[in-house]
Amino acid sequence: MSAAPRVSFMVTCLGDMFYPEIGEKIVRLLRSLGVTVEFPAGQTCCGLPLFNSGYHADAAAVARRTVALFEGAGHVVVPSGSCAWMVKHEYPGLLSGAERTAAERLAGRTHELSQFLVKVLGRRKFRRAVDGRLTYHDSCHLLRGLRESESPRALLRELAGAEFVELPGGDECCGFGGSFSVRLPEVSSAILDKKLANVEATGVECVVACDAGCLMQMRGGLSRRGSRVRALHLAEVLAGGAGEPASAAAPRGGAA
Amino acid sequence: MSEVAPVTPLRERAGQALKDTFLQEALTIATTKFIGLRREAFDEFPEGEALRDQARAIKEATLQRLDHWLEMLIDSIERRGGHVHYATSAEDARRIVLDIAKRTDARMAVKSKSMATEEIHLNEALEAAGVTPVETDLGEYIIQLAHERPSHIIAPAIHKTKGQVAELFARELGRETPPDPEVLTRIARDELREKFLRADLGITGANFAVAETGTVVLVTNEGNGRMVTSLPRVHVAVMGVEKVVPSMTDLAVFLAILAKSATGQKLSVYTSLVNGPRRGGELEGPEEFHLVLLDNGRIRQIAGPLREALSCLRCGACLNVCPVYRQIGGHAYGYTYPGPIGILLTAMLNGPESVKDLAHASSLCGACADACPVRIDIPRMLVELRKEVDERRIAPWPERFVFGALGWLLQRPALYRLTAPLGRLFQRPFVRGGAIRRLPPFLGQWTRTRDLPPVAARTFQERWADLEREGRR
Amino acid sequence: MTRAEFLARIRGEMGKTRGLFEASPPTRPARPRERLDLLRRELSERWRENIDRFTREFERVGGVLHQVREAREVPEAIARIAGERQLTSVVAWDGDALGLDVAEPLAARGLTTSTAPGVEASAGEREQRRALAAAADLGVTGVDLAIAETGTLVVVSGAGRPRSASLLPACHVAVFGREALVESLLQAGLALEAWHEGAPPDWRGASINFITGPSRTADIELTLTRGVHGPKEVHAVFVEQGLAVARRV
Repeated sequence: MSAAPRVSFMVTCLGDMFYPEIGEKIVRLLRSLGVTVEFPAGQTCCGLPLFNSGYHADAAAVARRTVALFEGAGHVVVPSGSCAWMVKHEYPGLLSGAERTAAERLAGRTHELSQFLVKVLGRRKFRRAVDGRLTYHDSCHLLRGLRESESPRALLRELAGAEFVELPGGDECCGFGGSFSVRLPEVSSAILDKKLANVEATGVECVVACDAGCLMQMRGGLSRRGSRVRALHLAEVLAGGAGEPASAAAPRGGAA
Repeated sequence: MSEVAPVTPLRERAGQALKDTFLQEALTIATTKFIGLRREAFDEFPEGEALRDQARAIKEATLQRLDHWLEMLIDSIERRGGHVHYATSAEDARRIVLDIAKRTDARMAVKSKSMATEEIHLNEALEAAGVTPVETDLGEYIIQLAHERPSHIIAPAIHKTKGQVAELFARELGRETPPDPEVLTRIARDELREKFLRADLGITGANFAVAETGTVVLVTNEGNGRMVTSLPRVHVAVMGVEKVVPSMTDLAVFLAILAKSATGQKLSVYTSLVNGPRRGGELEGPEEFHLVLLDNGRIRQIAGPLREALSCLRCGACLNVCPVYRQIGGHAYGYTYPGPIGILLTAMLNGPESVKDLAHASSLCGACADACPVRIDIPRMLVELRKEVDERRIAPWPERFVFGALGWLLQRPALYRLTAPLGRLFQRPFVRGGAIRRLPPFLGQWTRTRDLPPVAARTFQERWADLEREGRR
Repeated sequence: MTRAEFLARIRGEMGKTRGLFEASPPTRPARPRERLDLLRRELSERWRENIDRFTREFERVGGVLHQVREAREVPEAIARIAGERQLTSVVAWDGDALGLDVAEPLAARGLTTSTAPGVEASAGEREQRRALAAAADLGVTGVDLAIAETGTLVVVSGAGRPRSASLLPACHVAVFGREALVESLLQAGLALEAWHEGAPPDWRGASINFITGPSRTADIELTLTRGVHGPKEVHAVFVEQGLAVARRV
C-alpha cells in the first residue's frame, strides 16, 4: 500500500440515525491513522432488513444502488458486521451480469471496521478511550457470517492499560435479529436477559460490540435495568492517534 | 397438509413457554449440557471436520441418483425376504402399517423411537384400530403416558422434571415412587420388558438404510431398538426416502459423526443393523420384515428450495444451540419437529402456509448451521421460506405494506433523509432522559422491555459537512 | 402406490434439477474381503497398542475389561464375574462361535449354563430358550470385531449366536481374542463391506450389533442411568493368544 489509503465510509442506517457519534469517532480514528475518508452522498441502507424478511426484489434494488454509489471507492469500511456481511455475502447473488461483477468487486474491498484496522492497516495497538474492564460480544454476522472473531479481540487485548476478559456465552446471539426483535419481542428479550446476565456476571464496566443492531439491543436492555455496565462500539473504546508520531500512524501494508 | 395447525398463535405459545419456570430451567440445563458434550467430542476428534464434509457430499451425491439407490435398496431387501411398501402421504403410511397389523393379527405393538411415526401420527391410528402401541424409549414412554408430543428430536421428555415423571408413574401405573431417575428407570424396564416379550409387532423408524445390502440401521442407547427388532414376530420400519445411503463405507462415515453431534458420545450404545427377517437358524428375529418408504412432502423437495434439508440426520444439534429453542422449548413450535430444522421440515410436510410465523421464529444467528453435522444452511432456507410467504401473499398485508414502503423509501435518498427531522418531531413526547421508554401500543413491542435511542439531534449525514471541513484542516 | 409409480415420481423431480453441487460418495474398496485379510495381518502386529486403546475406551463407556492369556482361562474369568455378583444362571453362544466350550467348565463351577443350539430349532423350542435367556443372569457371547477407537463390541447373530445372549440378561460377558481387534470405525466399515460381499453362509443371522457399553439413558433430567432395557453391565474377556473360532464371520 503506497500513499495514504482511501476509505469510503458506509455509515449504515442505524449508525446514521441513532449513533452518528460513533460514525464521527470512526472517521476521526481513521484520519489519525493517516487514512483519507470519503463519504459518498445518498446512502440509505444496505438492505439487510428487506433481505432477511424475504423481500428480495426490493433488497436487490437497494443493493444495485449501493453498488453504484460505492463504485470507484477505495476500501469500504462498515461499522456493523451485519451490513458488511450483507454487502460481501449477499449482494453478488442478488444481482446478475455486469452488476453482479461490480458487486463482487465491491465485496472484495468491503471490510468491517476491526477487520480493516487489523488485517488491512495492520494496526493492533491503540490507547484506550475508556476506563474499566472490557468484555466482547461476538455479533452473529461477524462471527459466523464473516468468520471473524480474532480482529476485535486482538484490538481489545492490546488496548494499552485496559483489562480484557472473555464473555461466557460471548458467541451466543443477543436476540436482536432485526425484525425478530419486534415480531417475537418476549423471546428476543428473554434471549437478551441471558446475554446481559452473562455480561454482568463478568463484573466488567463495558461490553464491546461491532454491530449497531447488537448495541441497540444490549443498550436498550442495560439502560432499562439501570445497569452500570455500558455497551459500546469498538470505535468508542479506541483512542485516535492524535499526537502520535507519524511512523506509528502510517499503516503497514497488507494483512496483519 | 399433514398436520393440524395449532390453535393459539406462535407468540402466545412462546409467551406461555417463557413463563414456565420448570421448562426454562430444564431447557437451560439440558441444552447447555448437550452443547458442552458435543464440543468436547469434536475437540477430541480432528478428523471430524473432514468427515462432516464427506457426509454432506454423500447425502448430496445420493440425492442426485436417488432412484438408483432406492431401486438397489428395494431389490436387496426383497432378495433377503423382506417386503417394501410405498407411502406417498401420511395417510398411506398409516394404512399400510394397519393392514400389516390386521393381517398378522397383532394386538400389541412395541415401538422404538421414531420421529417418522410421530410425523404420520401413527399411534392414534393404531389405537383406533384396536392395536395397542407401546412406546419403549424411556422418553417416549414418559410422554406417551402423559399424552404429550415430543419436545426435542432426541430427548423427547426433556421438558419434564423427575418429580413430574414420578407423579406421572404414580398416576398412570399406580406405583408410588420417589423422584429418583434410577428407580424410575427400573420401573420402566420392568413394565416394558414384559411388553417386549409379549408383543406381536415391532415398529421402528430407521436412521439409515444401506442400498447395497438392504440393511436398515437403528441408532439407540437403551436396547429397545434391539428388542423391538428381535422379539416380536413382525417388524415394520417406517423411513423417509432420503435416509438411503449407498454402501457400508458411507454408513461408517455417518456413524462416526452422528452420535457425537447428538449427545457427544463416540457411538450410541447400540447401532443395530437389520438384514431382513430371521435367518440361518438363529433363535430370535422376526418372521416378517417390512420397510415402508415414506414420501409425505419429501420428494417434492428434490427439486425444491428445501432440498438441503433432506440431508438432516435428526441429531438435534441445531435445537441445542438455537437461542429461540433454548428459550421456548419444543412444544411451542406447535408441530412434530421443533427447532431450526423443525421449521424447515414443517414447511416440507405441510406447505409454506404452516410456517408463516414459524419462519420468523429465528434471529438468523447461524448457530444451527455451524452445529449441523452435514452443514445444512438452515438460515438461508428460513429466509427463502420468508420470501415464499411474502411472494404468495401469505404474510399479513400490513406487514407487506410496511416493508414495501421501506423498500420504496430506501431507494430515494432525499425522502430517506426527511425521516430524521420527522422522527425527531414525532418522538418528542416520548423522549425522557435521552431515551425512549414507552411508545404507543402498536409501536410498543420494543419498548415494553427495552429502551430505544432517540433519532439523533443531527444524523451522521447532517454532520458530514462539518466533519469534511474538519478533515481538510 | 406401486414401486413403479413411486420411483417414477422421484425420477420426475430429479429431472428438474442438477443438484446443489458436484458430489460423489467415497470410493469403495474393490475387493473388501482381500483388503480385510490384509488389514488383519497388519493389525496383528499392533495388537498390544490396540488392546490398550480398546481398554481405555471400553472403560470410558462403563465396560469392564478382563485379560487372560489363553482360552482355557476364560471360564474361570466368567465364573469369577458371576461369583462376585451372586449370579447363577448363564446363557451362552455355542462352542463353534465362541472358540471354546464354556458349558461344561461353568457347570463344574456351579453355574447353570444353557448353550444355544447350532441349528434351526422349532418354534416351541425357540420360545423356551427365549424364556431361559430372559430369566438368565448372565449372557456369554463372542465378538466379531472389537473397535479400539470407540470401545465397541460388534456381534453378528446366527445359529449358535443368539441375539438374546447380549441383550436379555442383566450382565453381558463378551469373549474375544486379539484377532478381533480393529482400530477405527472406518476399518469396521471395511469389515461390513467384506461381510456382505457375496452370499452369506447358511448359519448367518439377520442382525449385526455394535455394542458400546451397557444400556443407558439420560431421558430424565439428563441424569445418566444404566441398564434400561439392555444389560446393566458389560464385561469383555480378552484372550491374548487369540481364539480359534470355528464359525467365523
